[in-house]
Amino acid sequence: MTPVSRRTLLAGGAAMAALGGAGCSRSTSISRDPTELVLWYWARSISEDLLEVARTEIPETGKHLRTDLIGGSFDTKFRTSLAGDAYIPDVTALNSNVSIYFPNESKFTDLNDFGAAALKSEYLEWKWNLGTTPSGRMCFWPMDTGPTGFYFRKDIFDKAGLPTGIDDVSDAVKTWEGYIEVGKELRKSGDIAIVDNATRVFTAVVNSNAERYFDAEGGQIFRESGSAIREAWEIAVKASQAGVTARLGTDTDTESNSAYNSGNIAGRVEAVWWAAILKDLAPDSSGAWGVASQPVSPGNSGGSFLTIPTATKDPQAAYDFITWLTTAEHQAQSYTELALFPSSIKALENTTLAAKDEFFDDQDIFTFFQESAKGVPITFISPWESLISSPLGIELTNVDANGKDPDQAWDDAMVIADRQLAKKGLSS
Amino acid sequence: MTVALSAHRSAPLKTEGIPPSPHSKSLRSYLPLYLAISPFYILFAVFGLFPIGFSIYLSFHDWDGIGDMTFVGLSQYAYLVTDPIFWRSVFNTFAIFFLSTIPMLFFALIIAFLLHSNLKFKSAYRAAFFIPNVTSMVAMALVFGSVFSDSFGLVNSALTALQSVPIPWLSSEWGIKVTIAAMVIWRWTGYNAIIYLAGLQAVSTDVYEAARIDGANTWQIFTRVTIPLLRPVIVFTIITSTIGGLGLFTEPQVLLGTNGGPGQSGLTIVLYQYQQAFEKLDYGYGSALGWALFVIAGLVAAFNWWITKEREPRRAKWTEGKA
Repeated sequence: MTPVSRRTLLAGGAAMAALGGAGCSRSTSISRDPTELVLWYWARSISEDLLEVARTEIPETGKHLRTDLIGGSFDTKFRTSLAGDAYIPDVTALNSNVSIYFPNESKFTDLNDFGAAALKSEYLEWKWNLGTTPSGRMCFWPMDTGPTGFYFRKDIFDKAGLPTGIDDVSDAVKTWEGYIEVGKELRKSGDIAIVDNATRVFTAVVNSNAERYFDAEGGQIFRESGSAIREAWEIAVKASQAGVTARLGTDTDTESNSAYNSGNIAGRVEAVWWAAILKDLAPDSSGAWGVASQPVSPGNSGGSFLTIPTATKDPQAAYDFITWLTTAEHQAQSYTELALFPSSIKALENTTLAAKDEFFDDQDIFTFFQESAKGVPITFISPWESLISSPLGIELTNVDANGKDPDQAWDDAMVIADRQLAKKGLSS
Repeated sequence: MTVALSAHRSAPLKTEGIPPSPHSKSLRSYLPLYLAISPFYILFAVFGLFPIGFSIYLSFHDWDGIGDMTFVGLSQYAYLVTDPIFWRSVFNTFAIFFLSTIPMLFFALIIAFLLHSNLKFKSAYRAAFFIPNVTSMVAMALVFGSVFSDSFGLVNSALTALQSVPIPWLSSEWGIKVTIAAMVIWRWTGYNAIIYLAGLQAVSTDVYEAARIDGANTWQIFTRVTIPLLRPVIVFTIITSTIGGLGLFTEPQVLLGTNGGPGQSGLTIVLYQYQQAFEKLDYGYGSALGWALFVIAGLVAAFNWWITKEREPRRAKWTEGKA
């Protein structure tokens, strides 16, 4: 082996430092072309026809759009660019989990600076609220939404002696107690569940409630009996103990997918976007499905946003782009093209979108979900919810799949939740 | 190294009277060589050394990946030692490790022994046993998910057909662990069998012939001749299986998701680390978990070393006595 002198090592180190230093001189924005804005999005999240227009020119801005289709781990990739303060897109789509960006809201442009407030009345109020940070900055622009309803199998309901008309089913499941009763009837008629697992019941109740884990001031409102979370927990436990859940795992869909196909699960409270998934999943059951109103109140699950990082090259042009992309007319076009459900009130009232759907026995599901969308409660989603919801989900699975004592399970979940909250400095 | 160093030291003596600095000269003449090997060291420094160092730094901080880092001293580690989920993940990792490694090495040994004997289509078998090792683990986890599915799986259908009670493979604590262990066994048995086979082929056939002549049957040859002679190879496979077992991630992640399934029964240490860092965006705690795994791996390595060292003198004594 060759000897390595100290000076050689130092020289080598200096060379490497120089290399590293050279890497540091770059611009924050991902593209150097001053007339080009870069958009990050994922497959089927934005209408390609509209993007095609913007690629030539974003109307009335003189700029054009470069669209980067980002594959999996969208948040990880976006956060990496923010963390490195490099290669940040000028505009990006974000999923329904925008609240995880609230603690770092200073990295995003307040769209009120560009006159967003004037457009507020054109969008669903609850959706607009979800994109507003606790400090009142409007950073996340409404794109599509996910109003929910109760999907059910008419043929299986019929065999179990249950009603099959949309209004009759809506009536039967007006309350969660009614929903559990319907589940019991299904259970009597064979190996049929009304839902995959207790966790899905819990999530459905939470997503249709105005009150969640925290209030807008950050107060923890999930512990006391009578709180919305405690109530959702109790409904889920009741459903599990009544035996109406299929007791399937929560993290993978393999089992529940085959259960929808085989008819072992005859219903699901889910968002409008599930219709397309269901059609792929269980094509043989075409014509046998209906969508009724879910218990108590409709909720929201999913839906996406657009945001402009402060590192953007031209916030005004970016703002012009997102408002142009989400006009009532363009949202209607996105619904026709990709079934992205509108957040614009005018697009919701667009009667040309109503259409009979063969898969749902000629039911007009656009009109159905349009009603749901108007009934979704205004709520606040905190960035810290998963500190509580994940131990609750784990313990609910223990109750549902392994028969753990529910009170013990709640206490155990609270122990973990308290530890995790304390770790984040959020002790009550 | 020693030789080279002394040669270098003596160099100035030979070139006495020539003043220019030997260092700058040697640097220049060695430069092409360093340049030639530099890609590895530069890549290693950027993608290996720096992340390792940075993860130590991170483990003393609280960081969500974007915002400001706050120095929190040892509190990540203090939280870790009192974290019941961490200890559960340690238990899970070792339980799955034992459930998989012991049967896996046993089957591998048997397969290697059979492949070593006079068998028709030997190379076809060898290839067949090695194929699982080159299959995509993600795809296999999906297949196993269907095979062991609680209500629709092949295994439970077979059990029901045999008038037996179906087992909740993917929702009970030991069902989950056995399923993950089965995936590990399926994938790595062939690999270990090939290693054993190589070891067996290095053993002189004279030893076997001698044993046969002495009247040993196949079982006796296997236990008294094959296993002792393969000892170093077995130790090697145990070490590689330990490394694989402690780093178990893909199988439970694809099969059960990042929570590790019902009761967190499939939550391994690396899966917990991934969940904390990339799902809960707690990079400080994720790093602390990484270093906890490092300490655990160190302890296991020390234990391995102690076991192999412990037996060395005894065997030496035994052979001495025989001689």
